[in-house]
Amino acid sequence: MIQLIFFLSIGALLFASLFFLARRNPRPEGSSGALIEARQALVALQAGLLPVELVQRIFANEDWEFVRSEAPAKVRELFMEERKKVALLWVEQVRTQIRSLRRFHSGSARSYARLNPRLEMELALSFAWLMSACRLLQVVVYIGGPYAAPRLVGAMANAASRACKISEQSLAFLNAAQLGLLSSGSTGQAAS
Amino acid sequence: MWQWVIEGGGIVVELALLLRGLRTRLFRRYYFFYTYIGSVILGSAVLMTILLKMPGLYSKSYWPVQLITLVTGYGILLEILNQVLAPYPGAERFARLSGLAAFAAIFCFALIAPFLMPRWSPGSVIEFERDLRSVQALFIFGLLALIFYYAIPIGRNMKGMVFGYGLYILTSLVSLAVRSYAGPSFLRVWSVAQPLSLDVSLMIWLIALWSYCPNPVPDPTIHLEEDYEALVTRTKSVIGHIRTYLGKAARA
Repeated sequence: MIQLIFFLSIGALLFASLFFLARRNPRPEGSSGALIEARQALVALQAGLLPVELVQRIFANEDWEFVRSEAPAKVRELFMEERKKVALLWVEQVRTQIRSLRRFHSGSARSYARLNPRLEMELALSFAWLMSACRLLQVVVYIGGPYAAPRLVGAMANAASRACKISEQSLAFLNAAQLGLLSSGSTGQAAS
Repeated sequence: MWQWVIEGGGIVVELALLLRGLRTRLFRRYYFFYTYIGSVILGSAVLMTILLKMPGLYSKSYWPVQLITLVTGYGILLEILNQVLAPYPGAERFARLSGLAAFAAIFCFALIAPFLMPRWSPGSVIEFERDLRSVQALFIFGLLALIFYYAIPIGRNMKGMVFGYGLYILTSLVSLAVRSYAGPSFLRVWSVAQPLSLDVSLMIWLIALWSYCPNPVPDPTIHLEEDYEALVTRTKSVIGHIRTYLGKAARA
Protein backbone atom coordinates (compact mmCIF):
# COMPACT_ATOMS: atom_id res chain seq x y z
CA MET A 1 0.00 0.00 0.00
CA ILE A 2 2.87 2.38 0.89
CA GLN A 3 4.49 1.56 -2.46
CA LEU A 4 1.25 2.38 -4.26
CA ILE A 5 0.93 5.71 -2.44
CA PHE A 6 4.57 6.52 -3.27
CA PHE A 7 4.11 5.94 -7.01
CA LEU A 8 0.74 7.70 -7.06
CA SER A 9 2.42 10.69 -5.39
CA ILE A 10 4.99 10.83 -8.20
CA GLY A 11 2.05 10.66 -10.62
CA ALA A 12 0.35 13.52 -8.79
CA LEU A 13 3.52 15.66 -9.06
CA LEU A 14 3.68 15.00 -12.78
CA PHE A 15 -0.03 15.71 -13.20
CA ALA A 16 0.31 19.04 -11.38
CA SER A 17 3.27 20.09 -13.54
CA LEU A 18 1.43 19.12 -16.74
CA PHE A 19 -1.62 21.05 -15.55
CA PHE A 20 0.50 24.17 -15.04
CA LEU A 21 2.15 23.62 -18.41
CA ALA A 22 -1.26 23.55 -20.09
CA ARG A 23 -2.35 26.73 -18.34
CA ARG A 24 0.96 28.51 -18.68
CA ASN A 25 1.23 31.90 -20.25
CA PRO A 26 4.97 32.48 -20.74
CA ARG A 27 6.39 35.87 -19.85
CA PRO A 28 9.39 37.46 -21.49
CA GLU A 29 11.78 36.94 -18.55
CA GLY A 30 15.28 38.25 -19.05
CA SER A 31 14.16 40.38 -21.95
CA SER A 32 14.16 44.15 -21.99
CA GLY A 33 10.54 44.04 -20.79
CA ALA A 34 11.51 42.02 -17.72
CA LEU A 35 14.36 44.37 -16.88
CA ILE A 36 12.04 47.36 -17.07
CA GLU A 37 9.55 45.50 -14.91
CA ALA A 38 12.24 44.73 -12.32
CA ARG A 39 13.24 48.37 -12.28
CA GLN A 40 9.60 49.43 -11.92
CA ALA A 41 9.15 46.93 -9.09
CA LEU A 42 12.08 48.49 -7.30
CA VAL A 43 10.70 51.99 -7.75
CA ALA A 44 7.23 50.86 -6.63
CA LEU A 45 8.64 49.28 -3.48
CA GLN A 46 10.95 52.14 -2.57
CA ALA A 47 8.70 55.05 -3.43
CA GLY A 48 5.20 53.68 -3.11
CA LEU A 49 5.02 50.76 -0.70
CA LEU A 50 7.83 50.85 1.82
CA PRO A 51 8.17 54.44 3.07
CA VAL A 52 7.99 54.30 6.87
CA GLU A 53 5.22 56.93 6.98
CA LEU A 54 2.97 54.87 4.74
CA VAL A 55 3.51 51.63 6.64
CA GLN A 56 2.98 53.36 9.97
CA ARG A 57 -0.18 55.00 8.66
CA ILE A 58 -1.71 51.77 7.37
CA PHE A 59 -0.98 49.88 10.57
CA ALA A 60 -1.33 52.84 12.99
CA ASN A 61 -2.85 51.66 16.23
CA GLU A 62 -3.68 55.25 17.20
CA ASP A 63 -6.25 55.45 14.41
CA TRP A 64 -8.00 52.40 15.79
CA GLU A 65 -7.80 53.72 19.35
CA PHE A 66 -9.38 56.97 18.23
CA VAL A 67 -12.20 55.30 16.28
CA ARG A 68 -12.84 52.85 19.10
CA SER A 69 -13.21 55.66 21.66
CA GLU A 70 -15.19 58.09 19.53
CA ALA A 71 -17.27 56.21 16.96
CA PRO A 72 -20.34 53.97 17.27
CA ALA A 73 -20.07 50.18 16.83
CA LYS A 74 -21.11 50.18 13.17
CA VAL A 75 -18.44 52.72 12.24
CA ARG A 76 -15.84 50.76 14.24
CA GLU A 77 -16.75 47.63 12.34
CA LEU A 78 -16.58 49.41 9.00
CA PHE A 79 -13.24 50.98 9.90
CA MET A 80 -11.74 47.62 10.84
CA GLU A 81 -12.99 46.01 7.62
CA GLU A 82 -11.62 48.78 5.44
CA ARG A 83 -8.27 48.89 7.22
CA LYS A 84 -7.94 45.13 6.92
CA LYS A 85 -8.55 45.36 3.17
CA VAL A 86 -5.89 48.04 2.82
CA ALA A 87 -3.39 46.02 4.90
CA LEU A 88 -3.99 42.88 2.84
CA LEU A 89 -3.61 44.83 -0.37
CA TRP A 90 -0.34 46.30 0.88
CA VAL A 91 1.12 42.87 1.74
CA GLU A 92 -0.01 41.51 -1.64
CA GLN A 93 1.63 44.40 -3.45
CA VAL A 94 4.91 43.93 -1.56
CA ARG A 95 4.79 40.22 -2.35
CA THR A 96 4.15 40.86 -6.03
CA GLN A 97 7.06 43.25 -6.31
CA ILE A 98 9.44 40.89 -4.50
CA ARG A 99 8.33 38.17 -6.92
CA SER A 100 9.22 40.48 -9.75
CA LEU A 101 12.74 40.86 -8.34
CA ARG A 102 12.99 37.08 -8.07
CA ARG A 103 11.98 36.79 -11.72
CA PHE A 104 14.73 39.20 -12.56
CA HIS A 105 17.29 36.97 -10.88
CA SER A 106 16.08 33.77 -12.55
CA GLY A 107 15.76 35.54 -15.89
CA SER A 108 19.39 36.63 -15.64
CA ALA A 109 20.88 33.48 -14.11
CA ARG A 110 19.49 31.09 -16.73
CA SER A 111 21.87 32.50 -19.34
CA TYR A 112 25.08 31.99 -17.37
CA ALA A 113 26.97 28.93 -18.55
CA ARG A 114 28.74 28.72 -15.20
CA LEU A 115 25.51 28.51 -13.25
CA ASN A 116 25.91 26.58 -10.02
CA PRO A 117 22.93 24.22 -9.49
CA ARG A 118 23.53 23.94 -5.75
CA LEU A 119 23.51 27.71 -5.30
CA GLU A 120 20.44 28.04 -7.50
CA MET A 121 18.64 25.44 -5.41
CA GLU A 122 19.54 27.36 -2.27
CA LEU A 123 18.27 30.61 -3.77
CA ALA A 124 15.07 29.03 -5.02
CA LEU A 125 14.35 27.65 -1.55
CA SER A 126 15.16 30.98 0.05
CA PHE A 127 12.84 32.85 -2.27
CA ALA A 128 10.15 30.26 -1.59
CA TRP A 129 10.67 30.77 2.13
CA LEU A 130 10.41 34.54 1.78
CA MET A 131 7.25 34.36 -0.29
CA SER A 132 5.76 31.99 2.29
CA ALA A 133 6.59 34.49 5.05
CA CYS A 134 4.66 37.15 3.13
CA ARG A 135 1.80 34.72 2.72
CA LEU A 136 1.90 34.00 6.47
CA LEU A 137 1.57 37.71 7.18
CA GLN A 138 -1.44 37.81 4.87
CA VAL A 139 -3.04 34.95 6.82
CA VAL A 140 -2.25 36.60 10.17
CA VAL A 141 -3.79 39.90 9.00
CA TYR A 142 -6.78 38.11 7.49
CA ILE A 143 -7.51 36.18 10.67
CA GLY A 144 -6.32 38.56 13.38
CA GLY A 145 -6.89 41.89 11.67
CA PRO A 146 -4.42 44.64 10.69
CA TYR A 147 -3.11 45.10 14.23
CA ALA A 148 -2.38 41.45 14.94
CA ALA A 149 1.31 41.45 14.03
CA PRO A 150 2.77 44.94 14.23
CA ARG A 151 6.34 43.75 14.69
CA LEU A 152 6.11 41.38 11.77
CA VAL A 153 4.85 44.22 9.58
CA GLY A 154 7.70 46.49 10.65
CA ALA A 155 10.28 43.78 10.14
CA MET A 156 8.91 42.89 6.75
CA ALA A 157 8.95 46.50 5.62
CA ASN A 158 12.54 46.91 6.85
CA ALA A 159 13.60 43.68 5.20
CA ALA A 160 11.99 44.59 1.92
CA SER A 161 13.63 48.03 2.03
CA ARG A 162 16.98 46.39 2.55
CA ALA A 163 16.29 44.00 -0.34
CA CYS A 164 15.50 46.95 -2.55
CA LYS A 165 18.81 48.65 -1.77
CA ILE A 166 20.76 45.57 -2.78
CA SER A 167 18.59 44.90 -5.83
CA GLU A 168 19.17 48.47 -6.88
CA GLN A 169 22.87 47.61 -7.20
CA SER A 170 21.95 44.67 -9.41
CA LEU A 171 19.97 46.97 -11.65
CA ALA A 172 22.52 49.78 -11.53
CA PHE A 173 23.79 48.94 -15.00
CA LEU A 174 20.39 49.90 -16.31
CA ASN A 175 20.88 53.63 -16.21
CA ALA A 176 18.33 56.19 -17.29
CA ALA A 177 19.58 56.38 -20.88
CA GLN A 178 19.45 52.59 -21.37
CA LEU A 179 16.05 52.45 -19.69
CA GLY A 180 14.76 55.01 -22.18
CA LEU A 181 16.13 52.98 -25.07
CA LEU A 182 14.61 49.77 -23.75
CA SER A 183 11.25 51.41 -23.09
CA SER A 184 11.05 52.74 -26.64
CA GLY A 185 12.13 49.33 -27.95
CA SER A 186 9.49 47.47 -26.01
CA THR A 187 6.83 50.03 -26.99
CA GLY A 188 7.78 49.49 -30.60
CA GLN A 189 7.51 45.76 -30.18
CA ALA A 190 4.11 46.11 -28.54
CA ALA A 191 2.87 48.33 -31.35
CA SER A 192 4.05 46.00 -34.09
CA MET B 1 -12.65 -5.97 -30.29
CA TRP B 2 -11.78 -2.80 -28.33
CA GLN B 3 -8.14 -3.80 -28.23
CA TRP B 4 -8.19 -4.09 -32.03
CA VAL B 5 -9.75 -0.66 -32.48
CA ILE B 6 -7.30 1.00 -30.07
CA GLU B 7 -4.22 -0.72 -31.50
CA GLY B 8 -5.32 -0.15 -35.12
CA GLY B 9 -6.25 3.49 -34.46
CA GLY B 10 -2.85 4.00 -32.84
CA ILE B 11 -0.99 2.69 -35.87
CA VAL B 12 -3.00 4.95 -38.20
CA VAL B 13 -2.16 8.05 -36.12
CA GLU B 14 1.49 6.97 -35.81
CA LEU B 15 1.74 6.67 -39.60
CA ALA B 16 0.02 10.04 -40.07
CA LEU B 17 2.49 11.60 -37.62
CA LEU B 18 5.47 10.09 -39.42
CA LEU B 19 4.20 11.07 -42.88
CA ARG B 20 3.49 14.60 -41.70
CA GLY B 21 6.99 14.75 -40.20
CA LEU B 22 8.47 13.68 -43.53
CA ARG B 23 6.36 16.15 -45.50
CA THR B 24 7.16 19.13 -43.28
CA ARG B 25 10.76 17.90 -42.80
CA LEU B 26 10.28 18.13 -39.06
CA PHE B 27 12.07 14.81 -38.66
CA ARG B 28 15.33 16.65 -39.45
CA ARG B 29 14.74 19.07 -36.63
CA TYR B 30 13.38 16.56 -34.10
CA TYR B 31 15.51 13.57 -34.93
CA PHE B 32 15.23 11.80 -31.53
CA PHE B 33 11.49 12.25 -31.37
CA TYR B 34 10.90 10.70 -34.79
CA THR B 35 13.27 7.86 -33.91
CA TYR B 36 10.99 7.15 -30.98
CA ILE B 37 7.91 7.31 -33.22
CA GLY B 38 9.63 4.94 -35.66
CA SER B 39 10.35 2.47 -32.87
CA VAL B 40 6.73 2.71 -31.67
CA ILE B 41 5.43 2.02 -35.22
CA LEU B 42 7.77 -0.92 -35.58
CA GLY B 43 6.76 -2.24 -32.15
CA SER B 44 3.04 -1.83 -32.89
CA ALA B 45 3.43 -3.61 -36.25
CA VAL B 46 5.27 -6.50 -34.61
CA LEU B 47 2.65 -6.79 -31.87
CA MET B 48 -0.23 -6.61 -34.36
CA THR B 49 1.34 -9.36 -36.47
CA ILE B 50 1.81 -11.55 -33.40
CA LEU B 51 -1.77 -10.86 -32.32
CA LEU B 52 -2.99 -11.96 -35.76
CA LYS B 53 -0.72 -14.94 -36.36
CA MET B 54 0.25 -16.18 -32.90
CA PRO B 55 -2.09 -14.70 -30.26
CA GLY B 56 -0.61 -16.99 -27.60
CA LEU B 57 2.75 -15.25 -27.85
CA TYR B 58 1.32 -11.74 -27.50
CA SER B 59 1.70 -11.39 -23.73
CA LYS B 60 5.28 -12.71 -23.89
CA SER B 61 6.23 -10.35 -26.73
CA TYR B 62 4.57 -7.30 -25.20
CA TRP B 63 7.24 -6.62 -22.56
CA PRO B 64 10.39 -6.73 -24.72
CA VAL B 65 8.72 -4.38 -27.24
CA GLN B 66 7.55 -2.11 -24.43
CA LEU B 67 11.05 -1.96 -22.95
CA ILE B 68 12.58 -0.99 -26.30
CA THR B 69 10.13 1.89 -26.75
CA LEU B 70 10.71 2.84 -23.13
CA VAL B 71 14.44 3.23 -23.79
CA THR B 72 13.93 5.13 -27.08
CA GLY B 73 11.43 7.30 -25.18
CA TYR B 74 14.39 8.85 -23.39
CA GLY B 75 15.20 10.35 -26.79
CA ILE B 76 12.17 12.61 -26.37
CA LEU B 77 13.58 13.91 -23.11
CA LEU B 78 16.91 14.48 -24.84
CA GLU B 79 15.09 16.28 -27.65
CA ILE B 80 13.36 18.58 -25.18
CA LEU B 81 16.66 19.31 -23.45
CA ASN B 82 18.34 20.15 -26.74
CA GLN B 83 15.53 22.22 -28.20
CA VAL B 84 14.16 24.11 -25.22
CA LEU B 85 17.21 24.78 -23.09
CA ALA B 86 19.91 25.31 -25.75
CA PRO B 87 19.64 29.14 -25.69
CA TYR B 88 19.93 29.12 -21.88
CA PRO B 89 23.32 27.67 -20.94
CA GLY B 90 22.71 28.04 -17.22
CA ALA B 91 19.40 26.23 -17.13
CA GLU B 92 20.71 23.65 -19.60
CA ARG B 93 23.67 22.87 -17.35
CA PHE B 94 21.30 22.40 -14.43
CA ALA B 95 19.05 20.08 -16.46
CA ARG B 96 21.96 18.09 -17.90
CA LEU B 97 23.36 17.39 -14.46
CA SER B 98 19.93 16.26 -13.21
CA GLY B 99 19.42 14.24 -16.39
CA LEU B 100 22.79 12.54 -16.06
CA ALA B 101 21.96 11.63 -12.49
CA ALA B 102 18.62 10.16 -13.64
CA PHE B 103 20.25 8.18 -16.48
CA ALA B 104 22.97 6.91 -14.13
CA ALA B 105 20.28 5.78 -11.71
CA ILE B 106 18.42 3.97 -14.50
CA PHE B 107 21.47 2.15 -15.81
CA CYS B 108 22.69 1.20 -12.34
CA PHE B 109 19.21 -0.11 -11.65
CA ALA B 110 19.18 -2.00 -14.96
CA LEU B 111 22.54 -3.59 -14.13
CA ILE B 112 21.52 -4.57 -10.62
CA ALA B 113 17.98 -5.67 -11.53
CA PRO B 114 18.94 -9.10 -13.03
CA PHE B 115 20.75 -10.00 -9.80
CA LEU B 116 17.84 -8.87 -7.68
CA MET B 117 15.27 -10.61 -9.90
CA PRO B 118 17.01 -13.69 -11.36
CA ARG B 119 13.68 -15.23 -12.35
CA TRP B 120 11.67 -12.81 -14.42
CA SER B 121 8.01 -13.23 -13.68
CA PRO B 122 5.30 -11.02 -15.21
CA GLY B 123 4.94 -9.32 -11.84
CA SER B 124 8.61 -8.39 -11.60
CA VAL B 125 8.60 -7.07 -15.18
CA ILE B 126 5.62 -4.85 -14.34
CA GLU B 127 7.45 -3.52 -11.30
CA PHE B 128 10.59 -2.95 -13.37
CA GLU B 129 8.69 -0.95 -15.97
CA ARG B 130 6.86 0.96 -13.24
CA ASP B 131 10.21 1.94 -11.68
CA LEU B 132 11.62 3.10 -15.00
CA ARG B 133 8.45 5.08 -15.72
CA SER B 134 8.68 6.73 -12.32
CA VAL B 135 12.25 7.86 -13.12
CA GLN B 136 10.98 9.32 -16.40
CA ALA B 137 8.12 10.99 -14.54
CA LEU B 138 10.54 12.56 -12.06
CA PHE B 139 12.77 13.68 -14.89
CA ILE B 140 9.88 15.40 -16.70
CA PHE B 141 8.75 16.94 -13.42
CA GLY B 142 12.27 18.29 -12.81
CA LEU B 143 12.52 19.59 -16.34
CA LEU B 144 9.18 21.37 -16.09
CA ALA B 145 10.13 22.80 -12.69
CA LEU B 146 13.23 24.28 -14.34
CA ILE B 147 11.20 25.64 -17.24
CA PHE B 148 8.74 27.26 -14.83
CA TYR B 149 11.38 28.62 -12.43
CA TYR B 150 13.51 30.18 -15.14
CA ALA B 151 10.35 31.18 -17.07
CA ILE B 152 11.66 29.67 -20.28
CA PRO B 153 9.21 30.18 -23.14
CA ILE B 154 8.45 27.13 -25.27
CA GLY B 155 6.85 26.89 -28.69
CA ARG B 156 3.84 24.80 -29.71
CA ASN B 157 5.95 21.90 -31.02
CA MET B 158 7.87 21.45 -27.78
CA LYS B 159 4.87 22.09 -25.56
CA GLY B 160 2.93 19.38 -27.38
CA MET B 161 5.89 17.01 -27.21
CA VAL B 162 6.30 17.44 -23.45
CA PHE B 163 2.57 17.37 -22.75
CA GLY B 164 1.90 14.28 -24.88
CA TYR B 165 4.79 12.29 -23.49
CA GLY B 166 4.10 13.45 -19.93
CA LEU B 167 0.48 12.34 -20.22
CA TYR B 168 1.53 8.93 -21.52
CA ILE B 169 4.09 8.49 -18.72
CA LEU B 170 1.52 9.57 -16.14
CA THR B 171 -1.08 7.06 -17.34
CA SER B 172 1.52 4.30 -17.61
CA LEU B 173 2.90 4.98 -14.14
CA VAL B 174 -0.48 5.07 -12.44
CA SER B 175 -1.83 2.00 -14.25
CA LEU B 176 1.38 0.01 -13.62
CA ALA B 177 1.39 0.98 -9.93
CA VAL B 178 -2.27 -0.05 -9.54
CA ARG B 179 -1.68 -3.20 -11.63
CA SER B 180 1.26 -4.14 -9.42
CA TYR B 181 -0.82 -3.59 -6.28
CA ALA B 182 -4.15 -5.06 -7.41
CA GLY B 183 -2.72 -8.00 -9.35
CA PRO B 184 -4.24 -9.72 -12.41
CA SER B 185 -7.75 -8.45 -11.57
CA PHE B 186 -6.71 -5.05 -12.96
CA LEU B 187 -5.41 -6.60 -16.19
CA ARG B 188 -8.53 -5.83 -18.24
CA VAL B 189 -8.56 -2.15 -17.37
CA TRP B 190 -4.81 -1.90 -17.76
CA SER B 191 -4.70 -3.57 -21.19
CA VAL B 192 -7.09 -0.87 -22.46
CA ALA B 193 -5.73 2.13 -20.51
CA GLN B 194 -2.11 1.69 -21.61
CA PRO B 195 -2.61 1.69 -25.42
CA LEU B 196 -5.46 4.20 -25.18
CA SER B 197 -3.20 6.71 -23.42
CA LEU B 198 -0.65 6.24 -26.21
CA ASP B 199 -3.36 7.01 -28.77
CA VAL B 200 -4.27 10.22 -26.92
CA SER B 201 -0.61 11.24 -26.80
CA LEU B 202 -0.23 10.50 -30.51
CA MET B 203 -3.21 12.74 -31.26
CA ILE B 204 -1.65 15.55 -29.19
CA TRP B 205 1.64 15.14 -31.08
CA LEU B 206 -0.11 15.10 -34.43
CA ILE B 207 -1.82 18.41 -33.67
CA ALA B 208 1.22 20.04 -32.01
CA LEU B 209 3.65 18.94 -34.72
CA TRP B 210 1.41 19.66 -37.70
CA SER B 211 3.75 22.46 -38.75
CA TYR B 212 7.02 23.92 -37.54
CA CYS B 213 6.69 26.34 -34.66
CA PRO B 214 10.07 27.42 -33.27
CA ASN B 215 10.73 28.20 -29.65
CA PRO B 216 10.79 31.89 -28.81
CA VAL B 217 14.40 33.02 -28.56
CA PRO B 218 15.66 35.23 -25.72
CA ASP B 219 16.45 38.87 -26.36
CA PRO B 220 20.14 38.86 -27.33
CA THR B 221 20.57 42.61 -26.91
CA ILE B 222 20.51 42.53 -23.11
CA HIS B 223 23.69 41.46 -21.37
CA LEU B 224 24.39 42.02 -17.72
CA GLU B 225 27.73 43.62 -17.09
CA GLU B 226 28.56 41.32 -14.20
CA ASP B 227 29.35 37.67 -13.76
CA TYR B 228 27.26 34.89 -12.32
CA GLU B 229 29.03 34.79 -8.96
CA ALA B 230 28.34 38.48 -8.44
CA LEU B 231 24.67 37.99 -9.30
CA VAL B 232 24.33 35.07 -6.89
CA THR B 233 26.21 36.87 -4.12
CA ARG B 234 23.91 39.85 -4.39
CA THR B 235 20.75 37.79 -4.50
CA LYS B 236 21.91 35.68 -1.55
CA SER B 237 22.69 38.85 0.34
CA VAL B 238 19.18 40.18 -0.32
CA ILE B 239 17.60 36.97 0.91
CA GLY B 240 19.92 36.73 3.90
CA HIS B 241 18.94 40.18 5.15
CA ILE B 242 15.24 39.52 4.63
CA ARG B 243 15.47 36.20 6.45
CA THR B 244 17.32 37.77 9.37
CA TYR B 245 14.67 40.45 9.77
CA LEU B 246 11.78 38.06 9.49
CA GLY B 247 13.45 35.57 11.83
CA LYS B 248 13.90 38.26 14.45
CA ALA B 249 10.30 39.35 14.00
CA ALA B 250 9.01 35.80 14.33
CA ARG B 251 10.95 35.30 17.57
CA ALA B 252 9.86 38.66 18.99
